[in-house]
Amino acid sequence: MTDSLPHRPLSMLRAVVVAALIGVAFFLPQLFGGSSVAYSTLTTIALFAVMCYGVDVVLSYLGEVSLGHTVFWAIGGYVAALMSVHLGVNGWVTALATIGLSVAAATFLGLVTLRTREFVFSLVTYAAAVVTHEIAFNWDAVGGSDGTVGIPALKLPLGFFTYVGGTQEELWPIAFALLLLTLFFVARFRRSRLGTTALMVHMNPALATSLGVDQRRVRLAVFVISAPITALAGWLYAYQRAYVGPDMFEAYFLVMMLTAVVLVGRRILLGPLLGTAVLIIQQNLLSLGGDWNKVILGFVLAAVLIFWPAGLMGLVDHMRQRWLRKTRTNGRENKRSYMEEVQ
Amino acid sequence: MINILAVGFAAVLAASAPAFAQRAPIKVGTIFPLSGGAGPDGQSVTNGVKLALEQINEAGGLLGRKLVLISKDDESTPAVGVSRANELIAEKVDVAIEGWNSPVTLAMQPILARAGVLDITAVSKADLILAGQSNPLAIRINSSNGFDAAVIAKYVAETLKAKKVAFLTQNDAYGNGFQSTVEAEFKKLNFAGEVVLTEKFAFRDTDFRVQLTNIKAANPDAVIVTSASNSSGLPATIEQYRQADIKAPFVGAVGIMLPTVFKIAGDANNGVVSADIYFWNLPPFATIPENVSFVAAYKKAHGVEPDKSAALGAAALQVWARAVEATRSLDRKTVAEAIRGKSIKGTLFGDATFLPNGQLQPRYVVFKVVDGKNAKFEALQ
Amino acid sequence: MNLSQQIVNGLVLGSGYACIALGWTILLGVARLVNFAHGQLYMLSAFVTWYAMTRAGAPYWAAIVIAIVVLSLLGALMQLAMTRLVIEQNLTSLMIVTLGLGYVIQGGGALIFGGNPQTLSSVLARTKVDAGALWFTWQDVLVLAMTFVLYAAVWLFVNRTRFGSVIRAVAEDPRLAQLFGINAKLVYLGVFVFECAAVALAAALVAPRAPILTSMGFNEVIMTFVVVVLGGIGSIGGALLAGLGLGMFIAFFGAFVAPAYTTAAAFGMLLLLLVVRPVGLATK
Repeated sequence: MTDSLPHRPLSMLRAVVVAALIGVAFFLPQLFGGSSVAYSTLTTIALFAVMCYGVDVVLSYLGEVSLGHTVFWAIGGYVAALMSVHLGVNGWVTALATIGLSVAAATFLGLVTLRTREFVFSLVTYAAAVVTHEIAFNWDAVGGSDGTVGIPALKLPLGFFTYVGGTQEELWPIAFALLLLTLFFVARFRRSRLGTTALMVHMNPALATSLGVDQRRVRLAVFVISAPITALAGWLYAYQRAYVGPDMFEAYFLVMMLTAVVLVGRRILLGPLLGTAVLIIQQNLLSLGGDWNKVILGFVLAAVLIFWPAGLMGLVDHMRQRWLRKTRTNGRENKRSYMEEVQ
Repeated sequence: MINILAVGFAAVLAASAPAFAQRAPIKVGTIFPLSGGAGPDGQSVTNGVKLALEQINEAGGLLGRKLVLISKDDESTPAVGVSRANELIAEKVDVAIEGWNSPVTLAMQPILARAGVLDITAVSKADLILAGQSNPLAIRINSSNGFDAAVIAKYVAETLKAKKVAFLTQNDAYGNGFQSTVEAEFKKLNFAGEVVLTEKFAFRDTDFRVQLTNIKAANPDAVIVTSASNSSGLPATIEQYRQADIKAPFVGAVGIMLPTVFKIAGDANNGVVSADIYFWNLPPFATIPENVSFVAAYKKAHGVEPDKSAALGAAALQVWARAVEATRSLDRKTVAEAIRGKSIKGTLFGDATFLPNGQLQPRYVVFKVVDGKNAKFEALQ
Repeated sequence: MNLSQQIVNGLVLGSGYACIALGWTILLGVARLVNFAHGQLYMLSAFVTWYAMTRAGAPYWAAIVIAIVVLSLLGALMQLAMTRLVIEQNLTSLMIVTLGLGYVIQGGGALIFGGNPQTLSSVLARTKVDAGALWFTWQDVLVLAMTFVLYAAVWLFVNRTRFGSVIRAVAEDPRLAQLFGINAKLVYLGVFVFECAAVALAAALVAPRAPILTSMGFNEVIMTFVVVVLGGIGSIGGALLAGLGLGMFIAFFGAFVAPAYTTAAAFGMLLLLLVVRPVGLATK
């Protein structure tokens, strides 16, 4: 009890700082001029970041590259589109259905890939994405190759009133809330038993086995909880774009997910968010045309992993340690001279 | 008469030239694929818009103001198209001319409509574009499957008098939609023959031997081919059709015989029958003054005659400019209502008549390829 | 007549799949390395061959040699850049790196060669053979013959020479192999250069069948993916059989069921196999 006392002001301070940062982040669109482009760009960054967190959980804590997360992304989009257009149900219902269906799909795919590792796991998840894409493309009941148009504004009844997300300005708070929820969830996961066990399975499988950890169960659980994260991003994307088609399976999203995760560095809470922001800003504000954008995106992806495998944060860390080493020696001298002066 | 008026109009505007320079320009935005597989096609449409825009500026601008073009690349990717549409909204464009790929158009439509930007679809063919769900004020220049199918059905049933018809159809909304409309048209025409075989393929396919073997065995009198893959799948289909030595006439869906098909498949194209809605040198277009001046300017700027893609881009801009001129307004609703269900004079398509749903009523020329290597064909009918 | 022509079609398709899959089979199967830039390397090879023929006026065979040399150099560069990841056996990072390099090649290819479709006009692809009611081209014969020759040569090299066991030893444990005096880096370099040279040769042989586009990328070779996994990763004979078998499957599925769904069918079959027999594919 007494031990924790000195910590309390610190954690309080921390909570205040985090709350303040969240508050500032919420008003970012206004800080950037409040135009509809500011809103739509930031909404897009928020929901693409959520999309990336699904891949992040699998890549950072299982060490596996899932090439099948576009399936969950598309499940969210298709569920929101089809249910709101054909059944006229509200956002809560489509969100619940999205979570349910993505968990079911991930459980199935997770069981299928249970015994596969590394590139075989990636190949199988990729095959699953190809098959699902072909089905979505050819099945008229889900919109076929043209997709589904006319998705109504997102309606979220909150008891006494209904929040309607039609414009980019109205969708921003929802995207922001979804992002916060995701960050909170991932932060909890990192500290949870499952998160730490998963990391042990990834980093030291022998130790995990000797401690009696059922590796397959851990892998399946992590894969399954990653799915609804990406799927909920797809759910919101459907409302933002008001159109859902088989393009949600395109490599564009897959490469975006992988790049955003490795760019800043794995196992860093805000990494995927920062990575997504950098990528979207490059594509929207500093675009050099489709072909050059591909060259840049690909080069960054390859260069980061070849030269700084720990991502940009790894680079920063490296620089900081070098700088620290330098200043530490300088600092010691300074201290000494200061002490001498005092004396 | 029109020419005299035009000269007079230009003279009045020339007199007010100082004012022209001072007022803020009107912004025209375009979104087409400028990179990737459809890049050359999208560049062609953009060039058409650009040239028609320069012609208007040379004649004194629009409402006494200069036109400027803001051109964007959608990379044939809906997600990118949405970003580009948002950028055009940020630039406060007065009109957006867009659309080579239907999914990209369908994704951009609601974004532009919600922002109140007038949206003219130049090429994308999907029926959903005009369904009114995402954009109740939609306008499209390229022909629709419905009209296209009637022309092809009529040719096969009445000119060829085919008894056994086979389909080779791209398996997506565009291909399947075209085929079912042709079959419906057959019924309307009391077609005596029958559809003996339907073979489908995927857009990205380049090998059609399996389908062509089946078609050859069915021994049809005509084969109706739908394919939007003008850069790869379609020329491959035509070459393999010749190699498989199928004797029945190759009847291509409307608008598929683009320059890339002639460039790649060359003489294998000889004998292919198809139809299209624009030819720079065939009647009625050869005698339309707006077309003559557009062709001359295009040839000067790019060294080649304009293809249909360029013409669709130019027509989109001209239709919009004429409507703005007539209503003296840039308001989305006012301008769109002056186009939808109305007839616009003075475009390179001549009098452009629009249906109430925003679809331009096309004029077709059915043709047969006589010299595929040099893209020469003769008009039938 | 219909049936025998479909068998010919199946052989033509299958030999193409097997031919393009060869480099990847060795890379994945023997050296346990991944390369998601395979499709873009195929595109680049086709365009280098095309460029040598149309712009430099080289004859077909010389253009093939040029493409092999250019791609081998590129492969060596790629492998040198990835050496550290390869020795560390960091397969996750390698997968993403090759995916990124594929993007670079695709964007760069479009910037260099433009977005227009081109044709690799081999004389053989335009010469048709009519055998009774059956037809195929001399190019098809060349692809089939070369595929058998290449697979035989590679099989002999891997199974009947010392090099084969050296590669296997390195793939098993690169660090241990180095302790035994094997230069693992050199072995990996050789394998990756072979992958690039093989894809260059395959592209020069198979690409004349259809127009080539700088954007064709992975879609063009999507079936090789099935071949490599179906073939049982690691088995050279298996990949050849899988390639030819898949060609037959596609021809018959297309002829009697639905040709538009062949990709879905092939990948569905693959998934099914992985559910039934995951261990065979997952053993390392």
